[in-house]
Amino acid sequence: MILRTLATMGPQHAYGIAARLEQVSGDLLNLNQGTIYPALVRLEQHGWTKGSWSKTDSNREARFYTITRAGQKALEGETERWRQMSRVVEKLLAEEP
Amino acid sequence: MTCWRRLAAKIRALARNRRAEDDAAREIAAHLALLQDEFERRGMTPQQARLAARRALGGAEQARQLHRDSRTILWLEQTLQDLRHACRALLHSPGFTVVAIATLALGVGVNTTLFTACNAIALKPLPVADAPHVVRLERLLASRYLGDLQYAFSYPEYENLRDHQNAFASTVASSWPIRVLASPDGQRANPPIPVQAQLVSGNYFGALGIPASAGRVFGPDEDNAPGAHPVVVLSHAFWERQFHSDPQVIGRSLEINGSAFTVTGIAPASFTGTSINPQVPDIWAPIAMQQQLVPGQHWLRTPTDFEFQILARIQPGVAVSQAQAETDTLVRQFATTYITRDRTLSVKLQATAFLGNTDDVRFQAGMAAMMVIFLMVLLVACANVTNMLLARGAARQREISVRMALGASRARVIRHLLTESILLSLSGGAAGLALAAAAGKLLWIALNQVLVRQLGTDFVLSLNFNPDRRVLLYVFALSLVTGIVFGLSPALQLTRPDLCSSLKDDTTSFGRGLSRSRLRGLLIGGQVAVSMLLLTSAGLLVRGLSRSEHADPGFDTQHVYLMRADFGDNPARAAASFQRMMDWLPTLPEVQDVAYGSAPMLGTWTPPIIVHHPGAVAGEVQGRTLASYASDRYLETLGIPLLRGRNFTTRESAAGARVAIVSAGAARLFWPGEDPIGKRFQLDLHFDGKLTEYEIIGIARDVRMANLTRVDPARVYFPPDPALVLPAVVSLRGNPQGSLAALWSSLRTFDRAILPSVSLWNMETMVVSMQRALARALAMLAGILALLSLTLAGIGIYGVMAYVVSQRTREIGVRIALGASRGRVVRSVAVEGLRPVLAGMAVGLAGGAGASLLLHRTLSTPGSLDFLYGIRFYDPLTFLAITVFLIAISLVASLVPSLRAVRVDPVEALRYQ
Repeated sequence: MILRTLATMGPQHAYGIAARLEQVSGDLLNLNQGTIYPALVRLEQHGWTKGSWSKTDSNREARFYTITRAGQKALEGETERWRQMSRVVEKLLAEEP
Repeated sequence: MTCWRRLAAKIRALARNRRAEDDAAREIAAHLALLQDEFERRGMTPQQARLAARRALGGAEQARQLHRDSRTILWLEQTLQDLRHACRALLHSPGFTVVAIATLALGVGVNTTLFTACNAIALKPLPVADAPHVVRLERLLASRYLGDLQYAFSYPEYENLRDHQNAFASTVASSWPIRVLASPDGQRANPPIPVQAQLVSGNYFGALGIPASAGRVFGPDEDNAPGAHPVVVLSHAFWERQFHSDPQVIGRSLEINGSAFTVTGIAPASFTGTSINPQVPDIWAPIAMQQQLVPGQHWLRTPTDFEFQILARIQPGVAVSQAQAETDTLVRQFATTYITRDRTLSVKLQATAFLGNTDDVRFQAGMAAMMVIFLMVLLVACANVTNMLLARGAARQREISVRMALGASRARVIRHLLTESILLSLSGGAAGLALAAAAGKLLWIALNQVLVRQLGTDFVLSLNFNPDRRVLLYVFALSLVTGIVFGLSPALQLTRPDLCSSLKDDTTSFGRGLSRSRLRGLLIGGQVAVSMLLLTSAGLLVRGLSRSEHADPGFDTQHVYLMRADFGDNPARAAASFQRMMDWLPTLPEVQDVAYGSAPMLGTWTPPIIVHHPGAVAGEVQGRTLASYASDRYLETLGIPLLRGRNFTTRESAAGARVAIVSAGAARLFWPGEDPIGKRFQLDLHFDGKLTEYEIIGIARDVRMANLTRVDPARVYFPPDPALVLPAVVSLRGNPQGSLAALWSSLRTFDRAILPSVSLWNMETMVVSMQRALARALAMLAGILALLSLTLAGIGIYGVMAYVVSQRTREIGVRIALGASRGRVVRSVAVEGLRPVLAGMAVGLAGGAGASLLLHRTLSTPGSLDFLYGIRFYDPLTFLAITVFLIAISLVASLVPSLRAVRVDPVEALRYQ
């Protein structure tokens, strides 16, 4: 989901990503924002994002994450997998007893 | 793919820990700032915004922790953390650390030394190339002989294998050590020196992959014709000793047994030979030179001269079982072409080790028993350290309880505590390894000294007691296990989920820790029991040793020499030469008496004996007796008096007549209450069921001829078969040095052919003293072990008592304040401390009695050793002395802390701590 966010929104910092996720999910995903960090760290360690320090519009410093090309590929792969999975589940659920 | 990237990133994060930590903190702080800004924008006050931001983030510290956990390899980081903490904690209490490490070093060091010895004897491969593929041939004989004969093969057998066994890439033969006389060139003035030679096949060095360290080794083409190539290779040890590492010796001539040989090269220092006796040979010569080194024998063409050990290198890709089956067939097929007394039942291919017979069950059982005993000492050390850890851990109880209350899992805290114990044990193991390396060197020197004294100055021990890969692995594994063993119990104890009472600010609660004091008592009791066991065994052995110092063999040893020589292969000629020597020796002025017969104290022969008694079951009594061949002057030469009856006549002795002299013990045992003279008995001399009947003509005094440890229960002497060549016993008169030198010079003029093979052993210094030395060594070893465990136990008891008393300072203060006399308090504290000690002593006593019973059971056959030299196994003196000694030590160990405690001012003790 983070990768998707980055892909659509471009480079973002941790707060921005968390806020966007909260917004998109319509407050269904209301975790505390600190829990985003394990995922961020993991993505960066895999090499799918790249982080760098920069300044926000309000002149606060923050660490901005950009999706890499490997990340794009991974995103496409994950998206396809997810779509396949949901198709199968839908099919199973559609079968009337 | 990316998981490797992740791993690499994690390791990087681990390495740059501080940097990563700072970066994460910075990022989270920035996040918080942005959140705060947002909330302020929505209209909150800065104060409210800050709080709301923290709430939204879920706590800055938790966020940092989440970041940290996903950033690194969690368990690795935690372990590193634990290690750092443990190092700091151990360095913080140096006294405890030093004592613990020293204790562990002693325990591990002692065990490692034993393992190094076992390794050197049984596990280390021979110093040849690709040792796992080299095998030694061993045969199973019909007589089930177990010594070194089962490794002996003849040269024709070797040739048969070399030419027909295709499963072997190469086959080598090497003889047993041969004693020759050598004169290094240019020293004709000095008498020739005895040198240990070995005859080896031409491909010996090549097939085993042994290069020369200087010069060259000889090859197969120098072993093709008898006597054609007189070349020798020197061993490194011999080269250093005799030629002082002079490189000019290559190409020089060396005279051996009168023939000139050329030195072609020096073997490398690491090559100590491949024989099954642990002796480094001095020189190697081709088998083709056999006639020059061993004149009068025809080993090259006699299929029944079993003089060679055979080693073979198996072809790569061939299974050992297949090679073994083929070898078995080949050898047995060849065996049908000649006649020998002891048939070969089968042939086995054995992995090579430094000593033969290492796969014998008895040898392995003995080794295992020794390892168990040494491990007990290590256990005592562990018990000590456990107690120390328990005492120390009690001080950290609060810290641990707080940690667990804050959410650390029990497993995590136990892991933390175990890290500390394993660090301790690994340090102790490293120190123990250093100790063992030093001990190994000392052991080599001591063993070499003993053997040099017994067998002559030309002996060099081939065993290698230096630690190698296997020993390192053993030390590491042992330390690890030790760390877990002594660390687990305190860790489990300290993390017991009883947080409430431990969080209370009360470190001296009266009734708590019952299970802990039980564990402590058990440990102390165990230590005392092991010490008791070791001490009683040591005490018995030491008493036996004092007896052995004064044990009188019962026959003359000071001026008596055992003489052995090789008279050649032809039995008739050998017997004639032997007889000639026996006739000539008494004519020498320095010789007082000469006889021949079984060598005293060098091996036992216990044939079954049958005595007819009309009153007994089946009319006869069966048993075993020790037997000796004896010529007519045998008893006189050895100074064994005849109690009754008469000695053998010269004619009876020469003819091998069927008359016998029995010892007083034999008379008592087989003819109780009657006069045995004139009676008859039967012996199964060769264990084959054929009985020979003897008539008793005399009774001799009892002697200790089987070994020094006990008087022979029963012994019979009778004249030998005239065709046999037996060792001679010669008693000299006058000044021992002078007579011996005179005898040697007379021998030199007598017969040069047999001179190299003649050996003269003084009964006292060579034979009897060896047995005394063995008793001394055993007693010393047992004494050291016992002292070690006693020291450890003493320290343990003292430490525990000191700790317990310090815990009960308040209680003691209360008691004294309430009016109890100091004496009563000391008594009660000390007595309570002694309870586990007494229990341990009782267990140890029972164990000690059992152990001495076990030692006693080894006295089953007439010729076996009595380790205790006749001390009864329930010897009250020893047991009493040890018990008193231990109680004294325990009393001191428990009184000192208690006395110190009662001297404390009760007001001080009662003050809130």
